[in-house]
Amino acid sequence: MIDRTLRHARLIASLGRYTLAREMSFRGNYLVKLSVELLWLFILLAFYKTVFMKTSTVATWTEPQYLFFVGCHFALNGLIETLFMDGCVDFTELVRTGDLDFILLKPMDEQVLVTCRKIDWGTSLNVVMGGVVMALALYQMNWRFDPVRAVAFVVTFVCGTAIAYSFMLALTSFSVWLVRNQSLMEMWWLFSSLARYPREIFRSLAWAEPLSFLFTYILPFLLVVNVPANVMVRVFDPATVAFTLAATAASLWASRMFFRRALRSYRSASS
Amino acid sequence: MKPLETVPPEANSPASSVPDSIPRDIVRPNLDPNAPSGVRKFYKYIKIFRVTLVERMTYRGDFLLGTFLRFVPMATTVLLWKSIYDSSGRKSLGGFTYRQMIAYLLLTHISRMFSSMPGLAGGIARDIRDGTLKKYLLQPLDMIGYLISYRAAHKAAYITTSAFPYAIIFWICRSFFDVPSWTTIPAYAVSLALAFVVGFAFEACVGMIGFWFLEVTSLLYIVMTLNFFISGHMLPLDLLPRFWANLLESLPFQYMAYFPAIVFQEKIQGAALVRGLALEAFWACFFVVLARVLYARGLRRYGAYGG
Repeated sequence: MIDRTLRHARLIASLGRYTLAREMSFRGNYLVKLSVELLWLFILLAFYKTVFMKTSTVATWTEPQYLFFVGCHFALNGLIETLFMDGCVDFTELVRTGDLDFILLKPMDEQVLVTCRKIDWGTSLNVVMGGVVMALALYQMNWRFDPVRAVAFVVTFVCGTAIAYSFMLALTSFSVWLVRNQSLMEMWWLFSSLARYPREIFRSLAWAEPLSFLFTYILPFLLVVNVPANVMVRVFDPATVAFTLAATAASLWASRMFFRRALRSYRSASS
Repeated sequence: MKPLETVPPEANSPASSVPDSIPRDIVRPNLDPNAPSGVRKFYKYIKIFRVTLVERMTYRGDFLLGTFLRFVPMATTVLLWKSIYDSSGRKSLGGFTYRQMIAYLLLTHISRMFSSMPGLAGGIARDIRDGTLKKYLLQPLDMIGYLISYRAAHKAAYITTSAFPYAIIFWICRSFFDVPSWTTIPAYAVSLALAFVVGFAFEACVGMIGFWFLEVTSLLYIVMTLNFFISGHMLPLDLLPRFWANLLESLPFQYMAYFPAIVFQEKIQGAALVRGLALEAFWACFFVVLARVLYARGLRRYGAYGG
């Protein structure tokens, strides 16, 4: 088990080195990609700065707390896009052309190969930029270091990444049946737009309450950013952290089963 | 990740790029040879419009789904703005009540439906880079004329197929809207038509930069990302601090989202409305002329490599 895990870790590291070498072949392009991400972060911050010029809180979140939430979302989304997005988007093409055969024949886990094959270094600095925004927010609120909260944040941040990854994997798996899954990015964006806002906004209108329940307890996408941001700068609720851990395990298991079920339906297109 | 709103659903459909070869019956229209040459010239662009329209209508199911999906995040936007208004304890922010704010954000979707030109600038730059631009030079066809016919057909197909989902969504959200007066409707229609011209000509100008710089994709990303904010797609420009609001209202980007929306909401009326429409017409002419100049100058540098 440990051997297998280490082998996969080495494989991901090698893929990372390979994609980095490719990215560095076009350094100018890489720098522009980074500047686009930086520009987008500035636009987001300008948007929320404008909003907080009109109000002191949004759904009970103060400005520094909300800034931390935005930074957390930016970092987490950056991590997902860096590690998994390109590989998942590419899966459709692998199915359509039949090139998935070559991946299935390799003596490695298909899920790891499919989802981690293409690391996008162009979005990697989003994690750092999100981290800087979170640090700025903590500074603004005079946050005092609390090791329990810090550890809980790291754990729930990893859990949030895992839940988001599970959803992406499940969406990716549909490609096997749809063959052309061009709307994957669109569907992914729909889900990620749910994670972009605090859960408390769903209390502002009666019709949204059931949605909040659905996306917290059934399809736990609202936990992805809300829980790590909450444990760090708002309420640290051990029960919510425990539920997030359970939801993470369930999401990973369910998405893996779904992916394997999809692979069983795969019929090579190349021969 | 940037929202996909920066890339309207048209971009996802397979026919968003200009074909490498232009159908022969477009270039040589089956028209009375005795017809005046001006009519013959115009007729071929009508044919381009018709062929593209037929091509686009093939993917109407995709359009319907894409349009519905596009409005789902609007639900979270409604919730966010409801929370902002509730938390602020104010009825109006930047001159917009909560109802007006949601109506504004919905109306910017209509504005963008007219002004966004996915793939236009990238397509022009690609044609320049790989040499396929010469298909316009070897045939009696003006590139800008061809592209405007092609885009007009795209828009006609998109507006037709998305009318049904838009009607449902706007009917659900009807409580956010005030019915405009009958004089506002023509002004709104004009502002949208000019938004189409401004959007088209602006993107064409950006694409023409490809004559001077081989790779403009990165520049396009920056321009489109910035445009998303400064056109007022994210929030009304009135909410920004006065200096920034004044600055952005003096730029042409507002005509791609903000201006048509506030025309419909009757936030600009009388002489100010006429002045706004005149300025929009000025910017439309400015970008059309600029695109023509850039094209003429660019062709002098064009080497027609590859293709």
